[in-house]
This record gives sequence, structure tokens and C-alpha cells, in this order.
Amino acid sequence: MAAAGGRRAVYPLFQRGGPQLRIFRPNFFMLAVRPGVPQPEDTVQFRVSMEMTKLDIRNYLERIYNVPVAAVRTRIQYGANNKRNHRNQRVKKPDYKVAYVQLGQGQTFQFPNLFPEKEQDAETRSFDDFRDKYMEKEKQKEEGDPRRGGVPDWFGL
Amino acid sequence: MGRWAPNHVAPKAPPLPARQPLLQASPPAGKLRYHVVRRGQSAAAVGGHRPAPLCCEMAALGARRLLRPGRRWFSETVPDDPAPLAGPLYPPVVASITAKSKAAKSLRLQRFNERVHGAATVEEKLRLYGKLQRPKYMVYPQTFALNADRWYRSFTKTVLVPGMPPRAAAAKPPIAAAGAAENGKAPEPSAEAPGATSAPELSAGTSPYPDMGELRSLACDALLQESFYQKKKRPFLYRDQDHTPGPFLTQLVSTLASFLSGRNPLLAASSLDLNPEVNFYWHHGNEVVVHGHRKGRVDPVRFQIDDNPHLQIRVPKQLPEVVPLESDLGHVPVIDHKPSKLPLFKKQYENKVFIGSKVADPCCYGHTQFHLLPDKLRRERFIKAHLEDQIEVVYRSNGIASLFAWTAAQAMYQGFWNEADVTRPFVSQAVVTDGKYFAFFCYQLNTLALTSETIKNNPRKNICWGTDSKPLYDVVEDGDVKGFNDEVLLQLVNFLLNRPKEL
Repeated sequence: MAAAGGRRAVYPLFQRGGPQLRIFRPNFFMLAVRPGVPQPEDTVQFRVSMEMTKLDIRNYLERIYNVPVAAVRTRIQYGANNKRNHRNQRVKKPDYKVAYVQLGQGQTFQFPNLFPEKEQDAETRSFDDFRDKYMEKEKQKEEGDPRRGGVPDWFGL
Repeated sequence: MGRWAPNHVAPKAPPLPARQPLLQASPPAGKLRYHVVRRGQSAAAVGGHRPAPLCCEMAALGARRLLRPGRRWFSETVPDDPAPLAGPLYPPVVASITAKSKAAKSLRLQRFNERVHGAATVEEKLRLYGKLQRPKYMVYPQTFALNADRWYRSFTKTVLVPGMPPRAAAAKPPIAAAGAAENGKAPEPSAEAPGATSAPELSAGTSPYPDMGELRSLACDALLQESFYQKKKRPFLYRDQDHTPGPFLTQLVSTLASFLSGRNPLLAASSLDLNPEVNFYWHHGNEVVVHGHRKGRVDPVRFQIDDNPHLQIRVPKQLPEVVPLESDLGHVPVIDHKPSKLPLFKKQYENKVFIGSKVADPCCYGHTQFHLLPDKLRRERFIKAHLEDQIEVVYRSNGIASLFAWTAAQAMYQGFWNEADVTRPFVSQAVVTDGKYFAFFCYQLNTLALTSETIKNNPRKNICWGTDSKPLYDVVEDGDVKGFNDEVLLQLVNFLLNRPKEL
């Protein structure tokens, strides 16, 4: 409904029951995170935008991703303000909102392991062994004679 | 030897020299702080230490006077005396009470248990049991939390058995309408014809069969009076339950109880309370304290139930047990997560154990409770939110939590607690309703030992029988109750007529 001449279109104010002329795509994001403490199987933990409400989260998941949501609980995590930079100014870590979503219809969710242990073949294993042994030898050379009991070698007559 | 030396000297004791203070005899190295001052010697002459108090010398003088002939000193034994004391000379070496160690903690617990065991009255026992206040989880029987009944069963070590327990044929009243169907379910091999056994039990003068039609008319009268005939204003916002279902339930139960008290002498001696309070406090499991000055210590997980049933019937005699004390009818769900994930919240306040009346009340055993579900937990709300499976969960969690609190509080009123487990099962019944749908629950408390130490070797489990919610009627229109369900009323009447076998 762009106006002619490149001017910005003016939409009438929306009131309940009126025609829906505009659709707002949400500018929110939701980030699924691994829970710090173990959560029940049907609970998924998200970091969401600070302005989102429980209703927003429920609609977001149900309409966009078709995930059945049974219950939503939110809390705001305060970011600490204790660290200081080189100018002795306090540096604040940002606040964020955490949402615990319980899935409906008996569904469960387990946060996946994003960094699984890779299967090592013989070549990498032998290379790792060689590397470890070399590092050990270097460390021992640095330490000096064990019979001196940790005393540095410049100490003496 | 001076004249104060004893006549007999023990072989090991060194001879006491005259004119020397006794305390000089074998002083342990480094322990004695004072120096013995001889007569005529000044304190400064004794090695330049702290001046010895003169009282030491006075004590030595006094000690000399003690050793007159015939007197005994420490290491000397009288030969012609019988054997010295048979028991140990020193008190037992126990751990310190105030130290921050496991031995000290176990000693403190042991002393606390001894104190509670040795309490003279039940009130004193309850006072000591709930004396220490710490943050505890508040368990609400009527909760919107999802799958709460599973969590509540794990907190209370309860097995849920669907359906009602099979009752003895003699205890059931013969109701003409559905008599044959019910008696077929009785499992006792010695089940006799109902009419033969119950007829002599009933008081003479009343007919042996309570009429179904009469009971139905009573129930319909109460329902119509509350919902149709009586002119009421609009219900207050979110208080629909206080408008019609609450008064209807009160009216129905009081009329049925008075009608059936002729058949059940226990009901005649019962006490019916409106909106009483039922509280119980218990420990289950262990957790590590996270914040605060007690951080890092291992504490029991504390729970408290504060319940307000709509109606309560208490009786002076206990209901009979349904199954033996050690029976195992299922498994108890084990949940590894912290209770706060349910969600359940902690608060610190009075640790109360209460059945609805104080300890001195003669009606100290429970019979039946009636619970009314609040407006927040309406069926329509769950259906709108696509949570149909949670409707039954609400009824079950209410039944399990409320009945566990009531039966356990009754057991504590009789002097049992988690160190002194119950010796007989405590049975109570409950009806959970929202005005139209009724769910029936029967609970048998077999064990109170739920703390981490006492639960280890305890094979007993508490048992809860429960039904699904069924409607009593379909709709009330134009002074007429449509679709009245006789089974629900029958089950309610059975509940009210439940009594011990002797009566």
C-alpha cells in the first residue's frame, strides 16, 4: 500500500475487529541453550529477548515452529557489573531473559552434544603420542636436575 | 617417714619424703604451670618463672593433713577390700556436640532422636519435631503444575492403584439397585450373601436396604435448591466455586451423613467440620545447601503441606486396613531432579502438623474429606489450552497430597514419627470434585519413615486407590436434573458407610 511519489504510506489505527492491513514479523530471537543445571526431560531452556512475554514465547513456538507448548516460565538474569577495564570503569555484562518451556503431548528434548569426541585413526593417535612425549622431554629439560630439589641452576658458587 | 605417712605403702608408689610438698611427687613434664615453693624460699628464687602462688603451698599443707594414718591416697589400694568398681573409671569418649564434623552431626541427631522418643506427651513430641525452622518446599495439593501427581508420589513414596479397593462383602451395605454387580467383585473366598450378614448388624427398626430413590431425591433436592430455586446474584469474579458447587456439596454431604447415620453408628459418633485446616511437615531425601552461611552442608529436603478441604468427617475409631501393612502393589516413581523444577518454591515458616482438631479431640481418626477444586483449575481452561491429559492429574495430585498429609498427621497424633514407624496402617478416604465431576480416593498410610536414613531399609510403600472423574449429572434445566448418574452417588454412599468390622 505504498503511496505515490515515494512518500510513506499511512495506515489507519488498528482496533479490535477491524481489518488486518499490516503484518508485523517479530524482531525477536530465541536461542535454545544447554541448561546449566539438569532439567526434566520435557523442559527446554531458551535465552529470549528482554521484551518478550510468556504469551509471546508460546505463540512464537507454536505458530512459527509448530512446537506444542504446555507451560512457559521466565526469569531475568542480571548481568554482573563488577569487572573493570584498563580505565577502572565498571564493565557490565548484559542482562538477558531465560525461558523454561515445558513441551506438550508428552514430547521430550535433550540438548545435543555439539562437540562429540572424534574417532581417532592410527595416524592421529601415534602423532598425539609422539607430541605428548616430545612435550614431556622439553618440560624435563626446562626443570633442571631433580637432585637439586627445585633450586635454580644459577644458585651456587 | 613423718608421722603423717600411711602405715601401708603400695609397692609402686614412691615413698613420700617428709617435709616436702606432696605435689612435687612425679609431676608430668611440662604440664604443671606452677613451681612448688619450699618453706623459706622466695618465689623469685625459683628459676625466674611466674611467681608461684602461695596457695599451692597451702594446698600441700592441707593435703598433708589428709594423709593421717588409715587414710588412703590415690594410687594406694587397701588389700583387704573386695575388687574395685567393676565398670569403667572414666566416662565414655564421645564426639563433640558443637564440632563441624560428621561424628558430631550424627551425635546431635542421635540426641535429638532420644529427646523426641522420651517426650512425655504427643504435644511435646510434635513441638520438638517441628522446632527447628528452615526453608522448606510448600507442596500445594491443588496445583496447576504439569504432571504434579508423579512428583507428589515420589515425595510421599506412594503407589497409585487405579480403581477402588475391593471391599469386604460384610462391610458393604446391600443396596438393592446395584447389589449383585458389586458383590461379584468381592474377592474374599468366605463372602456370604450380603443380606445374611448385614441384617443383624443394622439396628432394629430400620429397613435393611437404603433406598436408591430416596438417596437420589436427596441429592437432586440439594442440587436444585442451590442452582435453580434459590435466587442468587452473579458470582464474584473467579469465585464460581463459592457460588453454587460449594454450598451444594456442603448440603449434599450433611444431608447424606445424617440420613445414613442410622445405618452407620460410626457416622453418628463422627464430627463434621467445614473448611478445616490440615497441615503436615516431613523430610525426604538430601540436598546440598547452595547459598548462605550454611553453604556446602548436606541437609534433608523439607516439605510442608497446608491444605483446606471443603468438608471433613472425623471419627473416634479407625477405619480398617484395606491390604496388609507390607503389601507391594506397584512401583513408586523416582525423580532425580530437584523439586524446584516442578516448579515448587521454598519458604520458612511454622512447621505445623494438624489433622483438623487438636490432639485432645476424641475424634482423632479420619474418615472422609471433600475437596472442591478452585476456579483456576476448571476443565474448560485445560481443554482450551490443549492440556486434556492434565485434567485427571489435578484430581490425582489433590487426592494423593491431601490424603497423605491427613493420614500422616493422624499417625503423628498417635505418637508415630519417622524414627518410630507406624505399627498399623492408617486409612482415610477423599472425594475431589469441581461441583459436577467427582473423583474418589482411598489412601492407606503404611510408612512414615521417609528420611534418607530411615528409608534405606524400609520396603513399605503407601498406597492410594483412585478413580477417574465422573459426572454426577449432565445438566440442570427448568427445575429438572438431567442425566443423573447413580454410580457416583452409590460410590459416595459406600464411602460414607465405611466402618470398622466390629461396628
